[in-house]
Amino acid sequence: MEIRLHGRGGQGGVTCAKILATTYARLGKHVQTFGDYAGERSGAPVRAYTRVEDRPITNRNKVYRPDHLIVLDQNLLGADTIEGLRTGGDLLLNTPRPMEELNGQFPAYRLAAVDATAIARRHGIGTRSVVIVNTTIAGAFARLREIPLPVLEAAYRALGLLSNFPAAREAYEAVQVRQATDACAAPAAGTAPAARPPVEPVEAHVESPPTGLRTGTWSSQRPRYVEHLAPCNAWCPAGNDVVGFVQAVAVRGEEAAAAVLAKSSPLPGTCGRVCPAPCMEGCNRAEYDGAVNIRGIERWISDHAPAPSRAAPAGLRPLSIAVVGGGPAGLAAAHSLALLGHRARVFEGERELGGILVTGIPAYRLPRDVVRREVARILDLGVEARCGEFLSAERLREIAREHDGLVLATGLQAPRPAGVRGDHLAGVEQGIAFLHRVNLGEGARLEGRVVVLGGGNTAMDCARSALRLGAARVTVAYRRTRQEMPAIREEIEEAEREGVEILLQRQPVGFRGNGRLQSVDLAEVDMGEPDASGRRRPVVTARVASLACDRALLALGQSADRGFLPPGWELRGQQVFEDGRPLPAFAAGDFATGDGTVAHAIGSGRRAATLLLRALGRELELFERPERSLAVPATDIRFDHFERRAAAPDRHVGESVHAGSFGEVALGLPDGLESHRCFSCGHCTHCDTCLVYCPEGVVRRAGPDYDLDYAYCKGCGICVHECPRSGMEMSTP
Amino acid sequence: MPAERDGDEHAVTAELLSANHAAATAAALAGRANRAGRGFGGGVYPITPQSECIELLCRQEIEKGRIVRVESEHSAMAVCMGFSLAGARAFTASSSNGLAYMAENVFAAAMYRLPIVMMAVNRTLGPPWNIWVDHGDTLMLRDSGWIQFYCEDNQEVLDTILLAYRLAEDARVLLPALVCQDAFVLSHTMAQTEVPDQAAVDRFLPPLDLPHRLRDRAVTVGGLDLPHETEVHRRQLEDALRRVPSVHAECQTAFEQVFGRRPADAVVPYRMEDARIAVVSMGTTAATVRRAVDEARAGGQPVGGLRVRMFRPFPELQLAHALAGIERIAVLDRDISLGHGGVLWSELRGAAPRGALVQNYVLGLGGGDIRPEHVSWVIDDLRARCAAGAPEMMEVA
Amino acid sequence: MHEPLLAGFPTAGRRRTEPVLRPGNTNCGGCGMSIAFQMLDRALEDRAIQMVIPACCAIVTPGQYPRSAYGVPVVASTFASAAALATGLAQVAQVNGDPVRVLCWAGDGGTFDIGMATLSAAAERDEDILYVCYDNEIYGNTGGQRSSATPLGAVTTTTPRGKDVRKKDIVGILAAHRVPYAATVSLAHPEDALRKMRHALDAHGFRFLHVLSPCPTGWKSEPAEGIELVRLAVRSGLFPVYEVFEGTRTVINVEPELSAEALERYLGMQNRFRGDRLDLARVSESIRADWKRLRRLAKEVEA
Repeated sequence: MEIRLHGRGGQGGVTCAKILATTYARLGKHVQTFGDYAGERSGAPVRAYTRVEDRPITNRNKVYRPDHLIVLDQNLLGADTIEGLRTGGDLLLNTPRPMEELNGQFPAYRLAAVDATAIARRHGIGTRSVVIVNTTIAGAFARLREIPLPVLEAAYRALGLLSNFPAAREAYEAVQVRQATDACAAPAAGTAPAARPPVEPVEAHVESPPTGLRTGTWSSQRPRYVEHLAPCNAWCPAGNDVVGFVQAVAVRGEEAAAAVLAKSSPLPGTCGRVCPAPCMEGCNRAEYDGAVNIRGIERWISDHAPAPSRAAPAGLRPLSIAVVGGGPAGLAAAHSLALLGHRARVFEGERELGGILVTGIPAYRLPRDVVRREVARILDLGVEARCGEFLSAERLREIAREHDGLVLATGLQAPRPAGVRGDHLAGVEQGIAFLHRVNLGEGARLEGRVVVLGGGNTAMDCARSALRLGAARVTVAYRRTRQEMPAIREEIEEAEREGVEILLQRQPVGFRGNGRLQSVDLAEVDMGEPDASGRRRPVVTARVASLACDRALLALGQSADRGFLPPGWELRGQQVFEDGRPLPAFAAGDFATGDGTVAHAIGSGRRAATLLLRALGRELELFERPERSLAVPATDIRFDHFERRAAAPDRHVGESVHAGSFGEVALGLPDGLESHRCFSCGHCTHCDTCLVYCPEGVVRRAGPDYDLDYAYCKGCGICVHECPRSGMEMSTP
Repeated sequence: MPAERDGDEHAVTAELLSANHAAATAAALAGRANRAGRGFGGGVYPITPQSECIELLCRQEIEKGRIVRVESEHSAMAVCMGFSLAGARAFTASSSNGLAYMAENVFAAAMYRLPIVMMAVNRTLGPPWNIWVDHGDTLMLRDSGWIQFYCEDNQEVLDTILLAYRLAEDARVLLPALVCQDAFVLSHTMAQTEVPDQAAVDRFLPPLDLPHRLRDRAVTVGGLDLPHETEVHRRQLEDALRRVPSVHAECQTAFEQVFGRRPADAVVPYRMEDARIAVVSMGTTAATVRRAVDEARAGGQPVGGLRVRMFRPFPELQLAHALAGIERIAVLDRDISLGHGGVLWSELRGAAPRGALVQNYVLGLGGGDIRPEHVSWVIDDLRARCAAGAPEMMEVA
Repeated sequence: MHEPLLAGFPTAGRRRTEPVLRPGNTNCGGCGMSIAFQMLDRALEDRAIQMVIPACCAIVTPGQYPRSAYGVPVVASTFASAAALATGLAQVAQVNGDPVRVLCWAGDGGTFDIGMATLSAAAERDEDILYVCYDNEIYGNTGGQRSSATPLGAVTTTTPRGKDVRKKDIVGILAAHRVPYAATVSLAHPEDALRKMRHALDAHGFRFLHVLSPCPTGWKSEPAEGIELVRLAVRSGLFPVYEVFEGTRTVINVEPELSAEALERYLGMQNRFRGDRLDLARVSESIRADWKRLRRLAKEVEA
């Protein structure tokens, strides 16, 4: 019996032949096994042979008329491979294809198929790019020739390959067999070789043509360029293409970047100032030398390049949509609708659009002209504004009737009370009301000591505004630890820099005063076990101290006030239902979710707009926040390709806070160069790393992109492994 | 070196040169002749008794010539291959263990079809060390694809080197050539040697135009041969060697036209016309043989001498022709293929007439001085034999 | 194009139409020698070269006669002869005024071992040759036997428990010949590699480049991780990146971290270091000693 194996260098064909010979030797046969020795290289086609006889073997030739054929790589299958195979012999194929797909082929032979590569890979035999299948496929062959598994196992033991035996056993079980169907179909046995071309004499050899060796067939894997989700994009609640605009600044300049931003965000100037920037938390550069100052870059773009006005696309009849609430969520919804070619009409109770941006956030953080600039750009898109009317339930019904659809984005109206003794005293005030007054220019002078209760951005805004209004001393009391303060870290630092004191693990348990506030009782808080949110639960102790003060500002959180909804309307998820029937009305922003940041509000507004259009029968892609877990992890970034460089910090006004000065404190970045620190995770920057390291020189520039010559690519995977930013991947063609 | 004037009436312009210096002089003349081509070069490494040759060569002024003082014979030949592949005329010289060390590249030079000329001073292979003549060193290289000449006197050394270049560089041949001379007997023996002038050498040796010299085209010289390619490449080498005799004849004629004397044939007969006994030898032994033949003839014995001057390609036809009708043949080997016998004897047997008695005498190993009486003893021994025996290992020293 | 490391690198214009190494060569996927050829290709621009390659993987690379994967003139020499054969080519080029640059492209076996005498002699003669040693620290072409470039602890087919002596300091040996230029080349530092190759191509006299060439087959490592391995070899200090001018002026080009983390990752990513003779402390000590000496050499120049 003669067996011929066809494999590729590195797959272990010779060892496979040796396994078979060893096995038959244990069965008492005379055996011979050998390979073709040449300049075998990993991946190059090679042959090996096993000869089995009952008597001593006298033949020392290669095998030209094999009884059985084993093909370790289905891509090797061709006329020259099966040449000479005896009719009815076994043709064992390593292939991922199921037998049904192969059925019509090779009718003259008993065809057997097994996915030895998959099995060997599962058992970790070989490397990722060169899986060694020899020990696996031998198991399948044993099944075909009815070799008992214990004999095979003994052969593996004898050859020191026992650790691979489980893979052989799996192939033994998995191999599929089809009997020969047409004995006449065998190709004619090999005849005399065709006349060969003359061999050039050495002394006439003056030019060597290329080999034409298609090394692209050597590997089962090939690289390709694929965009992967950047963590900044995954983490942005507004759904901004963060990596897109940061890279646009770096490569194409501010105006191009502004165009990227304008597709998703109506409020880049605002976000560039007040966003807590989850993108920066997700930024992979944080693992290296500090997150890219994305917020600063967004501000830089917004302040230095006018957002382009985009004409609404022509299309179906535009819908008319009423957006109730002119805060960030409402503006984002209106902006989205306008970009999609619809007419949005924004109803705002205050005298101007902006909502929390003008009533809640102090001007030293967010100058009013920035908000007005952004509002003006939104209105430029054709959005209509109706300001100065707080809507009654009846009026809401009327508006709903007048429009095709409704977006409700009225934000948070109901501040949480302190709920302790004495919170009715004069001098105890809700921080949100205080800020509203101050921000609309109705602020009064403050004197003495102000205590702010809470640890969020509202608390910081209250504290820093109080300083600016003349308070002699401002103390923030927060019930948990500093790490748990919800306020933006930079805001806390700014507040402290300006002189605000922060008392941690203190909970107000009462206010004292004679008609007017004189002090607040603060109980010390111990940190207990983590609660459902993962934060440690505060445990209020009996250790109480009294802090004298003239004013207490409550910044303990807010909730949505849904009291203005008409009777019978209720919110399920983001959609409004009336007596159980869905209305073409969707809630957005804090009114819907209470997530509390401008970026969340934008994302929510965008989603509400798309949900509404869907509900109105328009086909479009729903706005969805990408799944964070799909983002490129830092471990996929090749840090070594990047020089260490600290993040560019925002600049700040140097002088201390003056009473009454609400001028902007943070001045942003001096230029857009910070964008060059961006890794561009998952997004090819045409950095040429793939091209520089390709051992074969088969990565070529093709216009702005790259061309991979798969005819010669050996699939080593260096380009993918070395890609600094995970802009490529290996795939099976 | 000033030319010595012969007091003879046939005044010839000849210099008194050792064969080592004759070889260096010829190499320099051939080298200069390629100044219109790509120049000349050699890799040289000393070994007794060849060193005088390369010492003289290193003192020569050769336009577009470079002599590289390498660290081994192996590199000497590699440097020559580099010179040759770049289109220059290349020369080196070696001997004995140096040739053994060089052997790998000796073969490579032939495989690459490079017309390098090497002068070899035949010296006994050691250890134990022995600096005197025998032919075992160059005969070790007989399978390398090189043309091999064995010279008998100083003039022949000089002439054969010039001739070898013309032959080796012929487009029908393109093979390296080895010009051998006996250690000390020739290498260090001064004798009158005619040195041609450069103009004549220029006429005889046109600039080398190696067809496969390295230019700027993408070519890989010496990649991988599969069995079939090797089959054909070996056959092509063999064919080239088989073309040597006819090209050699043309070269002899051209040489004669330019220099006025004809270099000897591949096989040189002496008093063979009516001989029935032949004594065959190589190198300087042939002169001794001539003396012995004369003595035997004087004694009425029908003895002739045959010198094999060209050992590769082996002049089988010429030998068969020269040996036609000979009944007894003595083959003198100054070499031994251990376990078999003399190399010349083992090769010559095929060319001997059917039924002839061919007896091998191995003598003069390690520089043992072969005198006429040794040859006479051989002749007597041969005549006394009824059948050929095992090679006769003679002690002459 | 704002990658500081590679700026302007592949855009170097050239009129040559043929790459040094064509696609369709027989090197294993992920072969470091192939990467080195791509670097050389960029460094060359329009310079004409002739290459001499001794018996080694690189002379199997071109494939079967009469075809070849080399796009430049190449001569295969016998194993020990590269520098000698190249001497002949370079000398003829010189006497004829040819602008061609002659290169030797040899593995560690042909450089550290069998070709050492030839190399040393050509260096001593200051031949006008650029000698590039692609060092995969093993006789790869013959199936993975140890050479004198095999590092301490590496398992090869002839050191089944791991090699118990250190590799030769080849650049030190060349520097002792006072050649005009000798340098190590890290494939993971392409700008440095390009600069050195161009300098070496344009300088005259004997120049030597030592390239650490990852060999997935011999190192028993992932083909995709070759560059990463070189980077780790540099970071760990195992492969110093430096250059020596005229045998005297030593310049360190890349500062290593000398970190245990890099060394352990380097060794851990290659199964050749799974031998029981791998003594991590000894490897670390040898790195420290090498760097102490190297810094002293570099300092002598400054002084």
